Amino acid sequence: MGLAAASGSESVMKTRPKIALFQCQWCLYSESDQDWVDHQLPPSIHLIKTSCTGRINPLYILNAIQGGVDGIVISGCLPEKCHYKEGNLSAVRQHEAFLGLLDYIGYERERVRFLWLDLQDRGRIQRELADFEVFLEELQPTNTLATRVSETIGGLNG
Amino acid sequence: MMYLLEKKKINTELSAWAKDYEVITPQKVENYTQFLPFDESSTLELTNPHNTRYPPKALFFPQTETMLTYNSRLGRFEETQVRDEPRIIFGIRPCDASAFALMDTVFLSEDYTDPYWKTKRESAIVVGLGCNNPPQTCFCTTVGGGPFNHEGLDALLTDHGEFFFVQVLTEKGRALFEDLPLASEEQVNEIKKIQKKASDKMAPAFETKGLKQKLDIIFESSYWEKIAESCLGCGICTFLCPTCFCFDIVDEVQRKKRIRNWDTCMFRIYSQEASGHNPRPSNRERTRQRLMHKYSYWLDQIGEIGCTGCGRCVRYCPVGLDIRAMLRIASQQESEVIHA
Amino acid sequence: MAELVSELRTQIERLLADQSIDVFIAFKKADSPLRPQPAFFRSGDALTDLEYNSLCQNNLGNYLTRYPNETRIGMVVRGCESRTVNALLVEKQHIRENLTLIGVPCHGIVDIKKIIEHYGEEITGYSENQTDITIILQGKEHTLPREELLHDSCLRCLHPNPVNADILIGDPLPEGDPSLVRKKVDSFEALSRDDRYNWFKQEAERCIRCYACREACPMCYCTECFVDFNQPRWTESSISPAGTHAWHIIRAFHQAGRCTSCGACERACPVDIKMTYLTDKLNEDILEIYNFETGMNDETQPPFAAFNMDDKKRFVA
Repeated sequence: MGLAAASGSESVMKTRPKIALFQCQWCLYSESDQDWVDHQLPPSIHLIKTSCTGRINPLYILNAIQGGVDGIVISGCLPEKCHYKEGNLSAVRQHEAFLGLLDYIGYERERVRFLWLDLQDRGRIQRELADFEVFLEELQPTNTLATRVSETIGGLNG
Repeated sequence: MMYLLEKKKINTELSAWAKDYEVITPQKVENYTQFLPFDESSTLELTNPHNTRYPPKALFFPQTETMLTYNSRLGRFEETQVRDEPRIIFGIRPCDASAFALMDTVFLSEDYTDPYWKTKRESAIVVGLGCNNPPQTCFCTTVGGGPFNHEGLDALLTDHGEFFFVQVLTEKGRALFEDLPLASEEQVNEIKKIQKKASDKMAPAFETKGLKQKLDIIFESSYWEKIAESCLGCGICTFLCPTCFCFDIVDEVQRKKRIRNWDTCMFRIYSQEASGHNPRPSNRERTRQRLMHKYSYWLDQIGEIGCTGCGRCVRYCPVGLDIRAMLRIASQQESEVIHA
Repeated sequence: MAELVSELRTQIERLLADQSIDVFIAFKKADSPLRPQPAFFRSGDALTDLEYNSLCQNNLGNYLTRYPNETRIGMVVRGCESRTVNALLVEKQHIRENLTLIGVPCHGIVDIKKIIEHYGEEITGYSENQTDITIILQGKEHTLPREELLHDSCLRCLHPNPVNADILIGDPLPEGDPSLVRKKVDSFEALSRDDRYNWFKQEAERCIRCYACREACPMCYCTECFVDFNQPRWTESSISPAGTHAWHIIRAFHQAGRCTSCGACERACPVDIKMTYLTDKLNEDILEIYNFETGMNDETQPPFAAFNMDDKKRFVA
């Protein structure tokens, strides 16, 4: 069942936007949500699971952008809920400044979206991803900073 | 015998060549000059008394060169086609051209021929432009060169009045210029005077006789620490040097390519070994290495100084270190013997 | 300026004589009048070639990280350099008690590239005062007002006065106008996305990955820079848009909350890339969001080290 259909929104997608999903391993409290992310993610969404959002070096984001993703979702825990206490705080400060810099040189900061998930959130990640896909489709496709895109088989361009 | 190339016709001449060759000339970029491909819209920059900032060795030994590509579908490496389109390098200074001759001893040695260098070198015609007013940072005459030296060139131009006076030095060079009118004997004598004047103007920057022996003796001198103290280890001197040839081969897995990039002995990781040992652990060893390589080890290898006196390292060092001053002071040092 | 050098010499001689420092870092004359060099004076050294003028273009804070914390260092510092020293102290790169700082309020560093652009290189003499620069070219004197030759970063300088000097030589100068940096950042931001990206690409294209900017920067002292990593391979070392873009973006980013806008990176660049447009943006953002300016004291933690629960409002759900 396609993502869009599952979340109830209508959209006809020719090629789905490529999304890199950086997911903190603790943020999905519901087993079924985590199972969905682990096994039922559409092939256009690439999962990179990290121990914490604080582990996410801005270089990962840049790497994904240079590899040609259309958008990035960073999914982590709310403040006070971080398994490592402060990882998400460090992440948010760094990424805020980093996205400001990327925006400054012409890369739309809205292409990187944060999801701070709550204990009670169920099914939210699917909805947010679907929403993000629609949003990315509406944005013009961009080549900004996508300098590592090549024609070979494999990787993000498969 | 010299040919006359009218300055106001130079763009026409280059455009005519551009039909059969790729013509590369110095052109203005920001506030400096760089060798770039020539076409009708190009603005030549032949009046800057300096050589280009970026060394023209890049024309035969690019800073980044793909050696092999990995074809994942077929599961094997494929060699890259080395470009062999005929080119004319026009307007190169004698210091940079003699650097080509020095680099030939590295890349076209008896034991090993570098196909990447060889193909590009052989398919190029090198036309030089001599220096009427060598800047004070130049010292080619000190190291056996000169502002109108012939080494590495197929033809040499001298700028005077409305003409470039062309001396043809090889068959390749003759083919380009033989249809041009000849200069009169009077004019030729005039040009020879200009060339001599330029060369005479350049006082020796340091004494090369006995320099190598002196450097070898003071290998352990504390003088090297003094230089190293202000040296940033930034590597600009090596990146802009026309005779530096060190390179690093990397496999860029994401790109599926084996790439050769310029490397520099001024970086700590250059000599860092996998065990963690580093034979040049501090700036002192690396700064010493740079000077010794050019002025001692090259002499061991091929009997010639490895520096052509182009002056780039002097002009662009961020802390103002001047290789000429360093060598002068080095040759005055006493040898220091390490006591056990 | 001669009085400044003379006063500086007296101070350095005194510090070396009473052995309160192991080394004093300043500048010295060299063969070319345009290129004074960083100098390291120790007890017993003659100070005859001590030099201090607006051509002293290096940030001396760069050398601080070369010495172990026990080394007692004396240094002459201008505004940006003094803040660099504070920033390094916050990062525990030295101990304040082992530093003796002689502060000099700064009239700005002259950009030798601008001098050479105006007059070429065959300059045989140089002198300056607070308002003008005079050079001697082919026996003739030429004078230009300082502002025409100052390095671009100095034209936007916020803090010309050293913030942590033990001894001050010279009269304090008025603080800079903060709106100058803001205006520059704003005018770039006002350009279209495409124009901004094109500018970024254009500046990055010339880069020859010599890393002179990194070596000239006092805050870049990592023994292993991210570009030198193989595992993981963060960025290509080749001259390619991907590698060079990553280099410029990430180096600027690693300076967020640490850069004092000294401009040493720009002065070192052999291909004239004006990379301070990136660090200026980050400095402005850090100032706006966290009200933090690098190096104003040697205690306040920079923003990326100072996160706390009050950041909750940043978490836009």
